[in-house]
Parts: sequence; structure tokens; C-alpha cells
Amino acid sequence: MTVKKIRIALAGNPNVGKSVIFNALTGGRQHVGNWPGKTVEKKEGTLKYKNHSFKVIDLPGTYSLTAYSIDEIVARDYLVEEKPDVVIHVVDSTNLERNLYLTIQLIELGAKVILALNMSDLAEKKGLRIDERHISRLLGIPVIKTVATKEKGVKKLLDKAIKLAGETKESKRKVLTYGKELEEHIEELRDCISKKLELPFGYTPKWTALKLLENDKEVIKKLKGVKNSAHVLKKARETRVHLQDVFGEDVDSSIADARYGLIAGLIKESVKKPAVNRISMSDQIDKVVTNKYLGIPIFLLAMFLMFQLTFEVSAPFMELIDEFFGWLAQTASASIPAGWLSSLVSDGIISGVGSVLIFIPPIFILFLIIALLEDSGYMARAAFIMDKLMHKIGLHGKSFIPMILGFGCNVPAIMATRTLSNRKDRLLTILINPFMSCGARLPVYILFAAAFFPNNQGLVVFSLYILGMMVAIIMGLILSRTLLKGLSAPFVMELPPYRVPTIKGALIHMWERGSLFLRKAGTIIFAAVVLVWALSSFPAGVEYGAQESYLGQVGTAIAPVFGPLGFGDWRASVALMTGFVAKEIVIGTFGTIYGVEEGGLEAALQQHFTPLSAYSFLVFVLLYVPCMAVIAVIKRETNSWKWPLFTAAYTTAVAWIVAFIVYQGGLLLGFV
Amino acid sequence: MGMPLAMVGAHEKVRVKSIVGGYGIMKRLSDMGIYEGTTLEVVRNDSTGPLILKVLDSRIVIGRGQAQKIMVEMK
Repeated sequence: MTVKKIRIALAGNPNVGKSVIFNALTGGRQHVGNWPGKTVEKKEGTLKYKNHSFKVIDLPGTYSLTAYSIDEIVARDYLVEEKPDVVIHVVDSTNLERNLYLTIQLIELGAKVILALNMSDLAEKKGLRIDERHISRLLGIPVIKTVATKEKGVKKLLDKAIKLAGETKESKRKVLTYGKELEEHIEELRDCISKKLELPFGYTPKWTALKLLENDKEVIKKLKGVKNSAHVLKKARETRVHLQDVFGEDVDSSIADARYGLIAGLIKESVKKPAVNRISMSDQIDKVVTNKYLGIPIFLLAMFLMFQLTFEVSAPFMELIDEFFGWLAQTASASIPAGWLSSLVSDGIISGVGSVLIFIPPIFILFLIIALLEDSGYMARAAFIMDKLMHKIGLHGKSFIPMILGFGCNVPAIMATRTLSNRKDRLLTILINPFMSCGARLPVYILFAAAFFPNNQGLVVFSLYILGMMVAIIMGLILSRTLLKGLSAPFVMELPPYRVPTIKGALIHMWERGSLFLRKAGTIIFAAVVLVWALSSFPAGVEYGAQESYLGQVGTAIAPVFGPLGFGDWRASVALMTGFVAKEIVIGTFGTIYGVEEGGLEAALQQHFTPLSAYSFLVFVLLYVPCMAVIAVIKRETNSWKWPLFTAAYTTAVAWIVAFIVYQGGLLLGFV
Repeated sequence: MGMPLAMVGAHEKVRVKSIVGGYGIMKRLSDMGIYEGTTLEVVRNDSTGPLILKVLDSRIVIGRGQAQKIMVEMK
């Protein structure tokens, strides 16, 4: 029996159900990492089917194989240089025309393409009758109708992949011809290339010729290192100029025209559209949702409901986790003889990690709701609505989605900025993201609000969220006019049609983001927890977290800095320092230093804070240095220490200034 | 004569005459189906903020700044 490993690459536009197909193919056996040297996510999975093993690679969602964004470069380099055995191109059946543009490019690349007409059930519902056999004949590639959410057609894809991977003879794939004039020049250039150059990375001469005429910057860059390429590149430039004269338009436009022309003909022959072109449901909904006056109120309402639902649903789960870790710490300290080990396990590890894990419910539920909003198509509308506001700070609507994610956890939010193509946009979005109040800060607000503002708890918490957003906007304004000047990338984005999201798809999305939080809890926070414990427990003999411990000593030294903000007590400084591990740890630290159980914490705080200094403290907690997991992710995403260090410094400076204004301003106005 | 896409009202169908822009944006637009010679429909234009276009069978949001640089003629 022969067992052969077949490598399948999944390609496709965003929003076509690619990740659902990937999941249907690989089940749980997948691995998420980064493409070497790039901050683009690489998903790989394996499966076995009919005596064959497969390795499936999910390429980043792209609209084409030009070299516009890192995503596209990654996808293309993989296809050209690694040559997967089969490429499955997943397309949205309800929008074939635009989707097939990528198919044409995949075929041109010489890949063995299988076309998966996904969401074929939706197309049928819309009244589209697609003759997949005819498309298959016209393009010379296998075409399969699929409904990924119901795993329909997925097995067929694998059957075809086995067949195609085994084929050795010259393929029947049709190659698009670009019209006489253009073809002649492509051929001329191709001949010149095959005579003069030894092409790297398995480029074919014809494809290279086409890419040179398209003025593809990446291909040109790569050819520059090849012997004799100067002559070919010069010839390509001349040909471009010549063709421009002949056609009176850009060569790119002629090429795009030829591709879309072929697709239009193909669609005409093989797709029957319903005769009446009624206004689609999506457009009807958009009339209300993106309305000039209604858009923002509807958006705010959606956000309000999102938070409300998150808190309501997660509260009971959080209580359970809290009780569990309380019990675990007690059991541990009871069963380990008293001493430093017992303290490390119960004070350090269990309560430290527990105070982070308690955020699993709200973070996962928030991400689930966001995934449902994204999959339904609403998030793209939110980006549209918010574009005007984002524009004022030198960004555009697309940057808005990472900002919303920041309400859950800033780590996945910062990673979500990968969808932004322009480096300046991305950096700016990363730098202001920590001001979006993440889930970990909320328990601090709630505790203080309950202790000091029993009649206005909701209002106090809400005001902090708003303050965070306002500071983000102001800092965006300042940064985009100073450090991060420059034009932002033009705003072009697809508005996917509204769809009923599937629970499965949303769960996958939730897991992809939420697991980032889990991983950080498992690694970096664990190490930090141990460090904080050690600083609080030594020099040997001091009581845990006492003023004489190392942490207490540092806290005492820096406390005067916070005097003008209303909380110059060393305990507050210590709590803030531990908050660098994860912000909610601030509460646990107060509990430890005051030596009270959670129930007594409110009373203890009331002795050390006034309502005004409490609010000033909350403002500081909201704005100061984000937790170390965020610093680590900024380091990874920007590939330098410069930006994470800058973030740590400037956010803390901003926090000090704003808290100073709040406290001193409050005093002047007669508050206490 | 041509006029900028940003000035076209909702429900108007237009033909793209020329696009001003760097290499990247030209490619991105043609990937989305917007290139010299295509026909598209303006779905929404609120005279501030981005526009929504109907291109092929999809809805594309485009920033006002970019829409200023796309010259079109009425169909």
C-alpha cells in the first residue's frame, strides 16, 4: 500500500468561508504559527483520507496575487516557491465574478487548481443557477460545489486532490490569452527571459514575463539579484511604455480588462441569474444601518448590548472560577507544610494564575459576540460608519475593529492590526490600542466603584471606558501629527453581504483569538507571577508583601511620585507595580498588603483613599503601562524594542498627567 | 468631461475614465474590479465620509480621498 503525503494549499478572498473549509478538512489537528520572518499567521493541519495523508496549508485571505500587502506576498511566495501539490481555491458562489479573478491568476501561476464553489446553498437561494461542469470545461480545472458549514462537498475535494496530485501529464488548464498585441509582447519577453536568465524559485518564463509587464515590484526585486537580468528588466520597461502608447491606458488596466473580460464571458455562459433584479436584502438593511443619522446610534446601541450581554453571561462563570482557585489555594497551603514553598504555590502561582484565568469567561464571550458580528457582516459596516471619526486621527475605518477588540484583551487586538496594509497605520493603531479598556481592568473599577461610589457605580465605570477612548483619540491626533506623519493607505474595503452567522464558524473565530490570551496566561504571566512573589517574599523573613520586602522597598521609594495624584501611599505603588503583570492583580495585591480577605477589602480601601483619590487611581490604572503580555506582543509585532519601550513610557506619562488633572482639578472644584 | 467619483450621487451608474494613484492602490482597486473602463454604480454618497459602490456583484467601501482621484463619466 502506498502512502503519499499530499500538500494542499487553500487560497481565497476574505469572507468566503475558507477557515470553515480548513476546519472541516483538518478537524482539530492544526497548528497555528507565523510565516518565517513575517507577522502573518500560518495555519497548517494534517489529515488522513483513503490511505493518503494530507498536509493542508491555509494561505492568508487575498484578493489577488499581486504584491500589494504582506498577505499577498506570503501567499504568492508559497505557491511559487514551495509548489504545493494542489491548490484549492475557495470562492463565494454568490459573487463569482470578483472571486474568479484570483482563479485566473492561480491558473496562470501554473498551479493545479481545484475550484470550490462555496456557499452554493446561498447562491441557490438567491436564484443563481450555476453550471459547474461548464465552468470546469471552460477553465480546464475541476469544479466542486460545497457548503462548508454543512461539510458538503468536502470529501469530493479530497478525492479530486488525490486524482490531481497523481497526474503527471501536461494539464488541460486553459491559459488566458490577452489579445494579439499584448500576447506578442508577452511572448517576445518570455523568449528573451528563457534565453538570457536562469530563473530562480521555479518561476516559469511566461509567468515572469507577465509579471514584469504588470510591473510587479516583488518579482522585479527578486530578479535584480539574477545574472543578466538588467537587460531583461530594461526591455520590460520599454515594452510597458510602448504598450501604454498603443492602448492609451495603463498596461495593468489592459491586463485586468482581459481577465475580467474572460470571466464575464464565462459567467454569461454558465450562470443563470434570476430575471428580476430586485433590491437585495443586504441593501435594504444597509439603508438603515449605514444611514447618515441612524448609523452611529445603532452602532452605539449594538456596543452597549454587546457589553451588557458579556457581563451578564460571564458573571456566574467568573464566580465559579474564583471559588475554584480559592479552594485550590486553601487546599494547597493546607497540604504543603508552611514555609516558602507553600507560599510560592498558594500566594504566588495559584492566586496569580487564578486571577488571570478568571478573565476567560468575559474575554471568550466578548470575542464570541464580536465573531458573530463579524461573520454577520456588521463589523464591516461599523468600519464604514466610524471611518469619518478615524480619519480625524489619521487612520481609517479598518483600524476600528482592532480598537473594539481591545475591550476584550489588547493582545489579540494588537495582533488583529495585521490586516492593515500600511506600516504607519498599523503602528499608530497599535500605539493607541492600550487605552481601550480591556477586560482585566474592569474588576478594579468595580471594586473601587462599589467602595466609593455606591450610588453611581455604573456611571463611574462607563466614564472610564469613555475616557480611555477619548485619550486614544487625542493621542492618535498627536502621534499622527508628530512621530507618525505620512499618508495613510487609501481606504478600500469590501462590504460582505449580510449572512446568518453559524455558531461553528463563530466558535472557531472566538477560539483563534481567545487562545492567544490563554497562551499568554500560560507562559509569560506564570513567569511574572513567580517574580512578583519572589520580590514580595524576600529578603528572607519578611511577611509577604510587607513594606520591608523588596517590592515594598521599591514601592516606598517611588510613592512620592504619586503624591500629587492623591495616592502617595507605598501600598498603592506596590499594587500598581504588580499590575504590570496583569492589571486585575492590583486587587489581589491590595488584599495581600492590607492583610484582609476579599470581603474586607472595601472597608480597608475606604481608610486609605478618598472618593477623589480613588477615581484618580482608577484613571491611572486605565491609562498607565499596559500589562507585560501587551508589551511582549508589541515587541513581536513591530520587531523591535523601540516601540514597546516607547509605549510603556508614554502611556505612563499620559496616565500621570491625566490623573494629575483629575485630582488637582477635583480639589480645586471642592471635591474630596 | 470627466468628474471625480466623489461627486457622483447615489444610484448613478458611471464609467471609470482614469485613476490617479500609486502602484499599490491601482492594483488593489483593479483586484476589486475598479480599473479604467469598468462600469460601477454609486450606492451611497453622503457627501462626507466614505462612499459605497456596487462593483460586479459586491459592495465596496472607498474612502472619499481615493474617490476624488477616480475620474468617471456618466453612463
